[in-house]
Amino acid sequence: MSSTTTPHQISRRQALLGIFGLGGTITGLAVNAVGSEHPEHPVAAPDAVSMLYDNTICTGCKACMPACNEANGLPPDTVLSGGIWDLPPDLNSKTKNIIKLYQEPDGPGFSYVKRQCMHCLDPACVTGCPFGSLKKADWGAVTWNSSLCIGCRYCEVACPFDVPKFQWDHWNPKIVKCEFCYDRLHNNQQPACTAVCPTGAVIFGKRTDLLAKAKDRVAAAPNKYFENRVYGEHEAGGTQVLYLSNVAFEKIGLPKLGTTSLGHYATKVTSVIYKWLSGPILAAGLLGVVIKKNWNRHEAESAEQEKKTGLQEQL
Amino acid sequence: MYKHDITGSTLINHWQRGVPVYREPVVTPTLLFFAALAALGLVLAAVRFFSPLGPFSGMNDAYAWGIWKTFNVMTLTALGSGPLAVGIAAWVFNRHKLHVVMRTALVSGFLFYATGLIALGFDVGRPWNFYSALLPWRWNAESAMLEISICMPLYCAVFLAFENLPLFLERFYYTGSERTRTFLRGIAPSLRRIYPFVIVGAYVLPLMHQSSLGGLLLLAGNKINPLWQTPSLPLLYLLAAGLCGLGFVIFLLLICSLRYSRPLDLGVLGELGNLLSCACLLFLAVRAGDLLWRGQVRAAFAFDKISVLFLIETALILIPAITLRMKTARETPRTMLKMATLACLGGMLYRFIPTSIAYIPAHRASYFPSLPEVLMAIGYIALGIVAFILAVKYFAVLPGEIKEWNYIFKAVPRRQPTSQSDAKGGTQWPASLSTR
Amino acid sequence: MLKDLTLDPLVASARVLDVLGTIDERLLRCGISRRAFVQFCSSLMIAAPFGLAITDKKTPEEVAAGLGKVIRPPVIWLAFQDCTGCTETLLRTSHPDLGDLIMNVISLEYHETLMAGSGLQAQQALDEAVKKYAGKYICVVEGSIPTRDKGVYMKLAGRPAMEVLADVGGRAAAIVAIGSCASWGGIPSADPDPTGAVGVVDLLPNQTIVNLPGCPPNPYTLLGVLLQFADSGTLPEMDGERRPKFAYDRDIHEHCPRRAHFDAGNFVKQFGDYGHREGWCLYEMGCKGPDTHAGCSTRHFNEIPDVWPIGIGAPCIGCTEKSIAFRVPMFKVVQIHTLAAPPSAYAPISAPQGVISPLATGLVGVAVGALAGAGYVASRRFSTMKDDESVPGSSMTRTPEKPDSSAGPKGPA
Repeated sequence: MSSTTTPHQISRRQALLGIFGLGGTITGLAVNAVGSEHPEHPVAAPDAVSMLYDNTICTGCKACMPACNEANGLPPDTVLSGGIWDLPPDLNSKTKNIIKLYQEPDGPGFSYVKRQCMHCLDPACVTGCPFGSLKKADWGAVTWNSSLCIGCRYCEVACPFDVPKFQWDHWNPKIVKCEFCYDRLHNNQQPACTAVCPTGAVIFGKRTDLLAKAKDRVAAAPNKYFENRVYGEHEAGGTQVLYLSNVAFEKIGLPKLGTTSLGHYATKVTSVIYKWLSGPILAAGLLGVVIKKNWNRHEAESAEQEKKTGLQEQL
Repeated sequence: MYKHDITGSTLINHWQRGVPVYREPVVTPTLLFFAALAALGLVLAAVRFFSPLGPFSGMNDAYAWGIWKTFNVMTLTALGSGPLAVGIAAWVFNRHKLHVVMRTALVSGFLFYATGLIALGFDVGRPWNFYSALLPWRWNAESAMLEISICMPLYCAVFLAFENLPLFLERFYYTGSERTRTFLRGIAPSLRRIYPFVIVGAYVLPLMHQSSLGGLLLLAGNKINPLWQTPSLPLLYLLAAGLCGLGFVIFLLLICSLRYSRPLDLGVLGELGNLLSCACLLFLAVRAGDLLWRGQVRAAFAFDKISVLFLIETALILIPAITLRMKTARETPRTMLKMATLACLGGMLYRFIPTSIAYIPAHRASYFPSLPEVLMAIGYIALGIVAFILAVKYFAVLPGEIKEWNYIFKAVPRRQPTSQSDAKGGTQWPASLSTR
Repeated sequence: MLKDLTLDPLVASARVLDVLGTIDERLLRCGISRRAFVQFCSSLMIAAPFGLAITDKKTPEEVAAGLGKVIRPPVIWLAFQDCTGCTETLLRTSHPDLGDLIMNVISLEYHETLMAGSGLQAQQALDEAVKKYAGKYICVVEGSIPTRDKGVYMKLAGRPAMEVLADVGGRAAAIVAIGSCASWGGIPSADPDPTGAVGVVDLLPNQTIVNLPGCPPNPYTLLGVLLQFADSGTLPEMDGERRPKFAYDRDIHEHCPRRAHFDAGNFVKQFGDYGHREGWCLYEMGCKGPDTHAGCSTRHFNEIPDVWPIGIGAPCIGCTEKSIAFRVPMFKVVQIHTLAAPPSAYAPISAPQGVISPLATGLVGVAVGALAGAGYVASRRFSTMKDDESVPGSSMTRTPEKPDSSAGPKGPA
């Protein structure tokens, strides 16, 4: 027991803790140098599914909106329309998919844009979810599990596209967001929105195929598409929903993002420190050594004080 | 007569041990006022239990975290990091003078954490799934949210609670029967044996979760203004917790001494002030270095709204940092209080701003807490205040002189001969600490 | 012919139906042009774009060829508490020869309004037809049947309607209840319902009944049902209220020609206003279209486009629906139940907000200021003197003249 050591000697236990902590940290550093769960630039799985949306083809018919509601059993959001139409102002707890309209402030130009979950390759929401309710499931679709979610809404804070929505008015609130029509995918069907789109503005396929197709479209019509590139190829590390637009992406509400995945950015340092809890163990070991030493001295002194004043030392 | 021991023993000027407040009635108008606020807050919390979050609070999808998470937890637990900051100074860096103020720090820290965790409990939307915290295979180890949702309750309920145990046991010792005393005497050695390990945990855990509170914001990425969004967020949040903890302990001690007319001890306060200024300087050094490294200095001095906010927050921390380097400042009570207040406010602002004012969601929205939300937040704080006031009156928390302690225990038995006297004639806790 | 009836029943029945002849034979005998018949068939196809076997996936010529071979179905038309509107609808075609055509497509054995005979002769015709075509004729019922006071409010040849229906309907191959009155009671059943009017289904629930509610319904619906039954002995697919799905599975709102106005928010506010003259949506005038199952929005009446209530600017009153017609006030607005199709308004992009909310900042500033102010005020109670550990009200008092010998001793350097 440590009581048999003198204040300046480190006990065997403390030495072991310290070595383990130190060793763990070094190993953690080494391992992280080799491979990481959050590479800076994630690579899509070969079977990753994707949607390609081209705003030059979209006519704004919004057939994808009631199709999505029906496929997901969601009611129409008729608040703004006084009970008549499905008129959501944005993605919300009744709307997993929405068509928005961008109008040029001074000019006749306009553009539609379809917004829903981007199904990122390295989703920030999945990294942040404490009990793994949001996870990247088959074919890369990001799904939500009601039996694991605690309703902390970290996913709403983490998502750079502001996609997950919370059912604020419900006593059993869910997180509502596009899940790539997961059940339909398992039934060998396309997602409802891509299946119903009459013009082919949004199409379904493998990410590799659709990315190639998008690049072909860009190559075939130089300067038609903004910056001659596909949005989602690298944004936030890459997403499985790809966009082609003839107006600036920011104008249609697609945020300007770097190419690093948020998960990588957020776990860069902590993944090293907490690998196998090596950081805390090292800290515990070091602190333990010092504190035990000081404690023993403190105890000795307080015993003296007790003799002098007759009062027990307060802890 | 009262001397400092140069080697740094625990004999200090006026603050020698914790002494309960004895010249005050327990129930005062102030206490009743805060108790009313606390009751209101708790009643609303009970209503919230049965109400969905939406109609009750002002939170929305763009601002998914309201003041309960961002203020009661993220900001106030920084003030509650007194045990961490003072404790590390006392136990690791051997600032022996500070042992006498540990109890104050511990009680206030515990109350900040407890009320913050209560606020958190009423903030989550699906609390019935929280049992996953007990099932490690469900943990997502990368999530900062997981870390704080396990670490903070563990810290508060186990480690801080244990560290506050001696307070209670001391009272039981003095007010209890002989059997109680024998029992307590029996378990005391075991408690003393565990105590150092508890202390270790009580520093490792807050190091983890106070930095994770900052780590939470890393995932928000571009949504937080670049003046605040940095990979050093966890470190800066931890340093802010340190300086807020120290600042608040100073503030609390000075205010309590004023309120309960207890003499100060500028030796201890000076020590705390010194540590506070070091903490502030360290924080500012890391902050400045971070801004330089990320090329944000120009933005910091652009004098637009956000830059002004940053400068105010920095000034609030810089002023105490510099002022308290001067020994005279550290030994002047008025200056100490002013500086401690500024430091606390600066640290609180630093922790609060990135979650709210500097947080820009992707779509235009606004958030303002609803009335029930604000009342509940105030109610939790009031609850902490009530508990603190009761604690300082019932337990030996605030530091005082040994002669005060002896006065309490000798004076009252003479005036109230019918109070419970110990047959063996030892010192006893007076039955009532009300006004003489 | 009487002799023939003594033969084997199957042969006998075939012989009996032979007498009626096929539609082709009849048309030829009556000198009705093939072209007119094909035109009639195309009208039938428009009335039943799907759900009717005889018109499914065929060209009008094919339908005409197919129908030509159908033996004219014998129809006995009973009229009870009716207004004869359903008969009128059968006749209300814009081409007189088509009305004639209809009479030649079916063999109307008994119809009080249209038959030449009356009185005893009419009664005899009914009795004979029932006997002759027993089990093969289609009994079309028009009008509701009174049930109160033993059904005395409508008598045919001295017999209450209930009895006549049980008799004639009981021996029919199928009963077609044409019109809302025969389907569920119609206008006579409206409050206070003095006669206890009910539809056929309420009296003969176990018979094969096809309900064709409407006030009146579209004539082609009746013809489609009759012809299919005559052709194959089957009836078209029906819904839970025994209405043929091909005509009643959609509500007016789903196919309304004015739907674009609904989606664009162009509503008539008052009869005769600008919107009304422009043909805007009548939802706010109480149109029951969203709650009413019928085909009127695509198959207008009298074979003239836009000749139907909404087309002429009158809101739909829901005449096919038992819960709505003659019960819900005409101008009462209904709820929209079906998942609303996308409207013409779009959600804005809502650009990211680059400015801090002034209210929030202001309030935080006020809070900070208040706390700082409070701290400052409190601090003024403390001494500004260095090393002064006294606190107002404490046992320690400050001795200003000898700061060094004050109660607070200095610690060592």
